[in-house]
This record gives sequence, C-alpha cells and structure tokens, in this order.
Amino acid sequence: MNLKSLFKKNETYLLLIVIVFSIVITTINPVFMTWENMFDLLRSSSGTAVLAIGIFVVLLSGGIDVSCTAIAICGQYIAINVLIASGVDNIAVAFLISIGVGLALGAINAVFISIFNLPTLITTLGTSSLFHGALLEWFGTKAINVGNIPDSIKVFGKMNILTFTRPDGTQYGLSVFFLILVIIVVLTWFLLKYTMIGRGIYAIGGNREAAKRCGYNIRKIQFFTYMYAGLLAGVMGVMHLSLIRYSNPNYIVGSELSVIAAVVLGGTRISGGTGTITGTLIGVALITILEKNLVLIGLSSYWQQFFIGVIIILGVTITYAQNKINERKGLRAA
Amino acid sequence: MAEVFLEAKGVSKTFVGVKALDNVDLTIGKGEIHCLIGENGSGKSTLIKVIGGVYRADSGSVKIEGRELHEHGMQTIETIRAGVQIIYQDLSLFPNLTVAENISINQMLESNQQTVNWKTIQESARKALDEIGEEIDLNERVENLSMAKKQIIAISRALTQNAKLIIMDEATSAITKEEVDHLFSIIMKLKERGISILFVSHKLSEVFEISENITILKDGKQIGVYPTSELDNDKLVYLMTGRELEYAPYIYNKKLAEETPLLSVEGLNKERQFHDINFNLQKGEILGITGLIGSGRTEVAQALFGLNKPDSGTIKMHGKAVDIKKPEDAINNGIALLPEERHGQGLFEEQSIGDNIVITILKSLLVKLGLLSQFKRKKAGDNWIEKLSIKTPTGDNPVNSLSGGNQQRVVLAKWLATEPDVFILDGPTIGIDIGSKHTIHEIIRDLAEKGMGIIMISDEIQEILDNCNRVLLMSNGRIIKEVEDSTTTTADELFDIVTRSYEEEAGA
Repeated sequence: MNLKSLFKKNETYLLLIVIVFSIVITTINPVFMTWENMFDLLRSSSGTAVLAIGIFVVLLSGGIDVSCTAIAICGQYIAINVLIASGVDNIAVAFLISIGVGLALGAINAVFISIFNLPTLITTLGTSSLFHGALLEWFGTKAINVGNIPDSIKVFGKMNILTFTRPDGTQYGLSVFFLILVIIVVLTWFLLKYTMIGRGIYAIGGNREAAKRCGYNIRKIQFFTYMYAGLLAGVMGVMHLSLIRYSNPNYIVGSELSVIAAVVLGGTRISGGTGTITGTLIGVALITILEKNLVLIGLSSYWQQFFIGVIIILGVTITYAQNKINERKGLRAA
Repeated sequence: MAEVFLEAKGVSKTFVGVKALDNVDLTIGKGEIHCLIGENGSGKSTLIKVIGGVYRADSGSVKIEGRELHEHGMQTIETIRAGVQIIYQDLSLFPNLTVAENISINQMLESNQQTVNWKTIQESARKALDEIGEEIDLNERVENLSMAKKQIIAISRALTQNAKLIIMDEATSAITKEEVDHLFSIIMKLKERGISILFVSHKLSEVFEISENITILKDGKQIGVYPTSELDNDKLVYLMTGRELEYAPYIYNKKLAEETPLLSVEGLNKERQFHDINFNLQKGEILGITGLIGSGRTEVAQALFGLNKPDSGTIKMHGKAVDIKKPEDAINNGIALLPEERHGQGLFEEQSIGDNIVITILKSLLVKLGLLSQFKRKKAGDNWIEKLSIKTPTGDNPVNSLSGGNQQRVVLAKWLATEPDVFILDGPTIGIDIGSKHTIHEIIRDLAEKGMGIIMISDEIQEILDNCNRVLLMSNGRIIKEVEDSTTTTADELFDIVTRSYEEEAGA
C-alpha cells in the first residue's frame, strides 16, 4: 500500500484526529500518555469494542441492530442469577450462559427480519424493549452487589496477560479483556474476508437484489449476522460484569447509540456494504477518549455528549462530501 | 441457419388477467446475434424471464441444445448450468465490492465452497477480462467505475460461468455512442468464440448495426422473425407499432419572429461547467442542443431554470434582463424546464395524475380564504389529460399506473399548465418507446407552431435533426458549432464534429 491510497482512507484521517487529540490531552495532563493509563483505557473499552464489532457486522449487511445492548444486559443478568442460584463459581459457565442467551435473542431478531421481512431498525427497537422488559419482569430488578458476585468473575476482571511493577512495588498490567478483543477481531476479520458467508454479508449489504439473483441464501446470511451480533453482545455482558463487579439490570441499555456512533464514525456506511474493522476500532477509541478524558483536561462531563455530537456530524459530513466528490469523478469518467 | 442453441415454442404467460405473452416462439442459433425488439409492454422482459427460469410459462416449451430441462420452463439454476446468462438492465453488480470479486462471485457460489481463495478470485477475473481483451484494475471498487466499465464486468462475469448464450437486456440505455461501439466490438468477439447473443433493445439504429436476425414482439404476440438485411427502418417501425411514422423536417415559421428575440443568453459562465454561452431564441423556433454527457448542456438548461446559479452572464426575456435565482423566478418569467430524470425530478409517482399536473399552478386555483378549489383543480387536470390524450380512465389514478410515454405527457402537461413562453426539454424521450416518442415530438412541434420557443436537448443527434430548425453543438462546456438550418447537415457529420472535439480535449 502506498502513501496515496493511505490518504484516501477514512481511517487515516480518523487516526490523525485520535493522535492530535491525544497530544492535546497529554500537554494538558501528562498522565494520559502513560502505559498505565493506556492499559486502563484498553481494559475499560474492550467491552464496548466487542459490542461495536457486532453492530459493525450488522451494518455491513445493510441492517442495524439497536437491541444488542438489551441482549448484553440480558446475557449478563441471567448468567449472574443462574450462577448465584446454582452455586457454580466458574467464569466459563458465565460466558456460556450469556453467549447462549445472546445467540437465542439474536435468532429471535433474525426470525422477524429474515422470515417476516420486517425493517431492521423498527424490529430491533421493538425487540430491545421486549427483551429488556421480559428480563425485568422474569428475573427481577434487583442490583447485585460486589459481595454477592462469584469470586471467579472478580478474579477474571483483574486478570492480566502482562504485568508490570511500579517503583513503589504495586502492580499494573494489560488486562485479559484485551486478549478477548484480539481473538474476536481476528475471528471476525477471518469470517468476513475468507468465508463465503462473510462475503455474503458484504454482498447483501451492497446489492441485496443482485445477491438473491446470483444465488446467495439471504435468510441464512441474516440469521448468521444477527446471531453473531447476539453472541458478541453475550460476551460483552460478562466482560462488563467482571469489569465493574456489579450487576444492575438497567445498565448498558441506553448506550447503543454511542456504540453505533462509534461504528459509523469509523467509516462504516449506515446504508450497508462498506466498512472496516480497523475503522470500527478507531471509532471506539475516539469515543472512549472523549468519554473518559474530557474530565482530565478540566471540562465538565456534559461537554462529552456535546463533542460526540460534533464529531458524529463532522464525520458524517466528511464521508458525505467524499462520496459526492467520488460521484463527480465517476460522472466525468462516464 | 447454423445449429440451433435455444428454441422457445408457443410460450404463453398470463399475469392477473393480462396476457403478457401469447404463443411466442424464439429461436437462436449457435454464435448468432439475435435481437428481440418491441415497444415497452410488448413482453420482451417477460420472455427473458421465462427463458431465465424466473417465471414459469403457462404453456409452451423452452429447449436448450435440443434438451427440454423442465416442463414449461426451468429453474434459474438449471438455465445457468445449461449456459444461459442474463445481464439485466441494472447489471446486478455489487458496488461495494472489487472488480475481481464481482466477476468471480457466481463462480464462487457455484462451486459450493465455504471459504474464499483470493488468489483464485483474481485469476479467474483476470482470465475472464483477457478473453474479451479488456483491462480494468481488479482491485478497484465497482462503484468508482463508469457505466460502460460496469457492463464489461457484467459480461466478464457471465463468461466465468461458461456462458453459451448471453442475454443483454437494454444494455445500451445508459452509455454513450462511443461506448456502444466498444460494446459491439466485444459482442463480435464473443460471437467469434461461438457464444450466442440475445440483444434486447428498442433503439432501432443499434439493432440494425449489430443483429443478424430480429424477432419482433407487439402486445405479447410475436409479429415475426426477419433477417436484419430484409428490414429497413420504416418497415421495422411499422411492424413494431402498427403505424407508419414519418419525420418531415421542422420548418420554422419566420413570421413568428419578433424584433427582439424571445430569449437571449449572453456570456453565461460557470466555473468547470460551461463557458461563454451565447444564443438567441425566437418565438416558434425549436432550438436543439446536443453533445456528449458532460458537455455542459444539462447544466446550461438548469442555469436558465434557476437550478444552477451561473458565475456571470445575462439572461434576457423579451429583451429585458431577468434575474433567475430559483425555479419560481423562472416560472414567473415564462420559462419552464422538463428535467432529464423524469422519476427523480419531474413526478410525484404515487400521487394522482391530476395533482401532478396542477402542482405548478396551484396559486391560480385558489378561491376565497386562500383555499384550493377542488372543482377548478379537477377541471384543470382533466383539461390537460384530454389535450395531450393521456391514456387513463380517470385523473385520480396514480402516475405510476401509467406507461413511460404517458408519464412523460403528464410532465409535459404540468409545465404547459404554467403557459410558458420558453420551454426547455432535457432528454424529452429518454427511455420512451418509439410510438410514444413520435407523439411527444408531434406535441412539441405543435407548441412551437403556435409560437412557443422550444429548446430541445438530446443525446440522439437524429432526434435533434428531425425536430429542430436550428442546432447548437456543445463540447466541454462550450458551444463549438451552430447549424443555422438543420436541413443542411446530417447526423453523421454532427456526430463527427462532436466526437472529434471530445477526443481533442481528451488528448490535450
């Protein structure tokens, strides 16, 4: 890849914004650019990134999923309740339950979307409310405090894959969450690039009618897409639980728009068919830095929402302008 | 005839009471370039879809290489395996994917593999392009390519499937004359390789240029099969429409001219779009403007109608300079524009025919308290439906219930209702079949004879010469030639001028 094509990419500009922003924050507050802070940011944003990758895949297919946060909290809250009720103290079981819930709820989305052919935004708006309402009704509304959280989950939340010692003898490190994120990124990249079903997701996002004509099984692809997003939401549910060591069935829900914003900001087209994982990750990084660090440079946290809005509009404007320019070029070529 | 490749016999197909195909035959030989021609609604698309296995015929048979694969037609996949590839008008490409993937996608799906080998994708795409001697960057996204290139990709894709018959549905509707020539050279290459082509079109000149045999459909019935050499333009038109359509040159009645021209355009400029545009228009004139896509002709039209603000220059109506900033100003000054895209810019397709017609003159339909008079509204709509003989049982039907030709009449009616002095028509007959086209030309001529000034913009140089008394040629934003009397030139001569100037610019 040469320099010229690098500058054609959205990701390059986005990365530049992240870098400039980081420099600004560092000059005001040097703590920002330390390994410790970086590791901490990675740990707390890995869950969001996992969720964002699920939404990214759905957007690629030409759909949208606003129910994934509801699915995540369902997976988390059902898993922790089952663990406590059964007395099983095992992180793997927690993941299995949460992922199972995610796959099942994702399949429900897929039934409405691919079999009844309903519009994806309305469907997932509906199921989001449905899933969350059912959770609160059947599993209760009680928050679970750190004292009641099984040990294996707390241990997992503090597990590091790399550990460093500070001069004063205390330790910090790179969280295991980062490893989960890396695995999911590689898996998703492989699925999208090297499997027929992954290419099918791009195909139906680009031109659904043509995909049908050339023989893709659209129903199968949609089931895969929404169940995969459900699976990732399930993973995120448990990551979130072991990160904050507390479970409130009203958490996570409501953050879907800022996750979607991160994905769209990363260059994924809301109309489907186009986008990259790299872009998605940079988008998440940008939103995370904004969310966590405006306080560091002395701005009130209300500014955070304001800046996210500014960046989304700016990002969309740039993408739109680029498309316009390309269109003109296309016209001239024709 | 050479060996027969495809033979359809007695194919009939009915949709909710409408007989789309009535006992139609079609025979295509190996390596033959066959043309299927007919007006809109004559059953061309239905026949293709029956061959492609998308529709199942009510009766009749389709045999490929003597073998009937299914009663009354086949499954899509069977047809593909038998070597039939259909390239639909929309090309069925994936704009977000690369050239290589678009070409290889069917082959990948056909082989039933689970994983993707990018090397094979590149190789088979390269091979398919090589077969027709084309070179396109395999890693470019299809959305960044021109329509003509996209077509080449669709053809290459058909080749990866071992196509023996390629059906091209209205393949030339969105490309320029030069690109059509290039497409034809590719078709000839395919023929040499023994591949049959079924070329579906309603453009007569192209049909004559490329095909060996012609099957004509009209109202779902087969009118006949003729070797192309036995037909001429008039005969083919007669067979397609059942009417004889003749064009006498439009003679402009100079008595209508006034001392000050109706419209004068002086030194109109807009950066990167058009430069130094000067011309006059007299009452009763039909002024033709032609040039390739991108020559600036549409941009000038939009500037006159307030849709595209020029950087400098003057527009005068009846000798007085007028300031046109938005379409409303243009309408108030007596200028109307029939836009290039009927669907996007001209019509509210779901709304009624009547409402579409009166939308430009709502103010004149107001009564007390500024309310709309339903009575006046209906009267105005019905009046125009009758005047332009729009075929509909009632003006309350939605516009999308009409055929293309009738929809275009609705757009005409809508602008005529404003009683313009100058009427600009940008591509007035794009996508309209030959019979309706003729009717629209007659309406335009009639308007001019009554004293309206008409500016007609079109790709089709022949259309311009048939209907205009004076012609401007545009290239790269400039008027490069003015033909005072259109009877003194020929389409070939004008076409040469346009392409030469285009090539000079491209070379420079």
